[in-house]
Amino acid sequence: MNRVKVLQAWLWCVSLWPCWLSHAVPLDCKDETGSLIQCTSISQEKLLDRVIQHAELIYRVSEESCTLFEDMFVPYPLYALRNQGGTMCHTKPFPIPGSKTEIQQISDKWLLHSVLMLVQSWMEPFVYLQTTLNRYDDAPDALLNKTKWVSDKLLSLEQGVVVLIRKMLDEGILTPSIFEHTLTPDDEPSPEIPESVLRDYNLLICFKKDAHKMETFLKLLKCRQSNKLSCLSY
Amino acid sequence: MAYSLLLSLLYLGMLCGNGLVSARSELFTPDPSRGPHFTGCRSREQETFRCWWSAGIFQNLTEPGALRVFYMTKHALSEWQECPDYTRTVKNECYFNKTFTQIWTSYCIQLRSVRENITYDEACFTVENIVHPDPPIGLNWTLLNVSRSGLHYDILVRWAPPPSADVQMGWMSLEYQVQYRVRNNSHWEMLDLESGTQQSIYGLHTDKEYEVRVRCKMTAFDNFGEFSDSIIVHVAQIPSKESTFPTTLVLIFGMIGVVILLVLLIFSQQQRLMVIFLPPIPAPKIKGIDPELLKNGKLDQLNSLLSSQDMYKPDFYHEDPWVEFIQLDLDDPAEKNESSDTQHLLGLSRSGSSHVLNFKSDDDSGRASCYDPEIPNPEDLATLLPGHSGRGDNHPLVSRSSSSIPDLGVQQTSEVKETPIQKQPAVPSWVNMDFYAQVSDFTPAGGVVLSPGQLNSSLEKKKEEENEKKIQFQLVSDGAYTSENTARQLSANVPSSPGPEQGYQTFPTQAVEGTSERGVPGCPPSDSQMPYLLPEAPPSPILPPVSDYTVVQEVDAQHSLLLNPPSSQPAICPHSPNKHLPAMPTMPMGYLTPDFLGNLTP
Repeated sequence: MNRVKVLQAWLWCVSLWPCWLSHAVPLDCKDETGSLIQCTSISQEKLLDRVIQHAELIYRVSEESCTLFEDMFVPYPLYALRNQGGTMCHTKPFPIPGSKTEIQQISDKWLLHSVLMLVQSWMEPFVYLQTTLNRYDDAPDALLNKTKWVSDKLLSLEQGVVVLIRKMLDEGILTPSIFEHTLTPDDEPSPEIPESVLRDYNLLICFKKDAHKMETFLKLLKCRQSNKLSCLSY
Repeated sequence: MAYSLLLSLLYLGMLCGNGLVSARSELFTPDPSRGPHFTGCRSREQETFRCWWSAGIFQNLTEPGALRVFYMTKHALSEWQECPDYTRTVKNECYFNKTFTQIWTSYCIQLRSVRENITYDEACFTVENIVHPDPPIGLNWTLLNVSRSGLHYDILVRWAPPPSADVQMGWMSLEYQVQYRVRNNSHWEMLDLESGTQQSIYGLHTDKEYEVRVRCKMTAFDNFGEFSDSIIVHVAQIPSKESTFPTTLVLIFGMIGVVILLVLLIFSQQQRLMVIFLPPIPAPKIKGIDPELLKNGKLDQLNSLLSSQDMYKPDFYHEDPWVEFIQLDLDDPAEKNESSDTQHLLGLSRSGSSHVLNFKSDDDSGRASCYDPEIPNPEDLATLLPGHSGRGDNHPLVSRSSSSIPDLGVQQTSEVKETPIQKQPAVPSWVNMDFYAQVSDFTPAGGVVLSPGQLNSSLEKKKEEENEKKIQFQLVSDGAYTSENTARQLSANVPSSPGPEQGYQTFPTQAVEGTSERGVPGCPPSDSQMPYLLPEAPPSPILPPVSDYTVVQEVDAQHSLLLNPPSSQPAICPHSPNKHLPAMPTMPMGYLTPDFLGNLTP
């Protein structure tokens, strides 16, 4: 019987070996003291690819959330709001250029910092969004799941971008900036439905736009990493 | 508060203004019933965009310059600016080049008549929402495979993204949609969106011409671009006779093989199949004994058959016949006083109430055979016994007598030691297996340890086979009674070899010995007078019996059986059975069944 037990234990160890491996080398590369060390477990290219995948996914999910919300709560005439791209989005500490030429001239450092700032700026509003969505009586589960998913993914995206910054720019960890959002969660007992609907819709639209920004910046970064010539404007 | 105000204003603005540029941008549909209005705005590559308008009803405003476009971005410090470039070649078009195009910002455009200072139309949008990518280029197809039947095939379609879209930089991420149809058909088949630049199409029919086209849109947006030019896909059907030829051959050969197998099977299993498919009609069954059974049936089967008839009682033969008869009369003290068990055991010489024969017992209802007319009256026989008072039931030792004769006859132990009832009281010539108790050991005190003996049936079986037929026929003929002659014949068949043979060989000697014990010691055997005796060779009868069997001389107070020493074998006294019959128990005295022993011992 002892032999059997030993064999079982050995098998368990072997099967859990990959788990140990993954736990042993976390993505944020923190050592025991808490200070950050250089991560050597993943290459920069792979990390960038993964970050871009995250951003793409987040962008798609944001668009789906918009559509879901629209179908459920927004009357047809207000569809044009979407076209306007969220006029009431909260402003950023620094303006982000919108033209391709200007963006192409942005440095890598600036690109990464912009992405990080965008990610961090949306963490809190999504928490707020989840609470407000729960208030709706007939919010579809898919919508709630998507917002929850986005919240989680934002965290991991932030982690990845921080590591990228460290890798590419050799900078230390940045303290997360605190943004003052114009959208403060309202704890009204019974908010007016149209107002909250508009607000949430606007929020989703703004997030979609910002997610697009993140994706674009990261892709530009990747383009620059692989082939500098074609990514620069003529 | 301010926020809610802004929201309400926005809502009002949307309701009032005609939202021309909606999510699904309508384009190039000037509404003649309306006044001057924008017909649409489009961007091809997200770097520039154009807007078009129409004068509508007001035909007096059609001359260029009558209507002007002003735009404003929702940036800070923005004001209404006029269209940066009115396209010269195209009428009523405003072109915004790269420097004036910004994504992620909201634009609002106005159509104004400067002269009258009237704003006829206004629209707001963001550039990425009005992007309609150019069609992909380089559409081509390759054949993946053709089905085995040659009727269907799969193709792989490839294309390249439009050159105007900067996909490499990631400025635009495109999704493609492939459509195909049978040529000159009106219905297009649409495939799912594909983010790569190739797609497989499955299940196309040969000998049909297909049109394939592709278009693209920006990911997470709804505006498809124009379709690419269609390509024609056609695969001619290859008449593949070679592939069908072997299959038909294989089929034919397979069928032939199967048929041959079937025929072989039928011929080999003909008999069985005949029985299965054409079962024999059962012959009419006549009640009686199946001759087949007599030929090669077992004895006990025949026995059961015979017993099923009225003559015999079945249960009579299935039980140990000795057990039935052996009844210790413990309840009757008077009986006990008269004679002890030993007296009963040893026989008639002791007491007068020994009923060796139990011809008639009241519970013995099936013993009609005993009263066969051929047989002398049982009463006559019974009178031979001393003190016969019809208390046969009480006698511990009960002779099997005639009733056992047929039983023995039909049993496996075919040593039919039947006694001719006619001549004497039925001396049972049974060879019951339980009848003999084998001496297994001697006690120092002189007692004998008996164990249930098994007849060494090897030889007996042989005799069985020899005699079976005869016996059975005899039984049938005589009603299960074998005559003296047949008994003699049967016994004559038995090999006369003495030796350690258990069974009836020694039986007569013992019986005779028993008789001699009482009365006539040293009498020589006589074949003629003792029909039940085996006609052995003269020397053989005197041979001492096998040590397995011995005569119980006495049963002492301790219930141990005293047996004669095997050596001392007095001459067998073949007296006339009549003479010795009274003194001789029909049951061999020397032989006890284990059950009887069990009854004796406390």
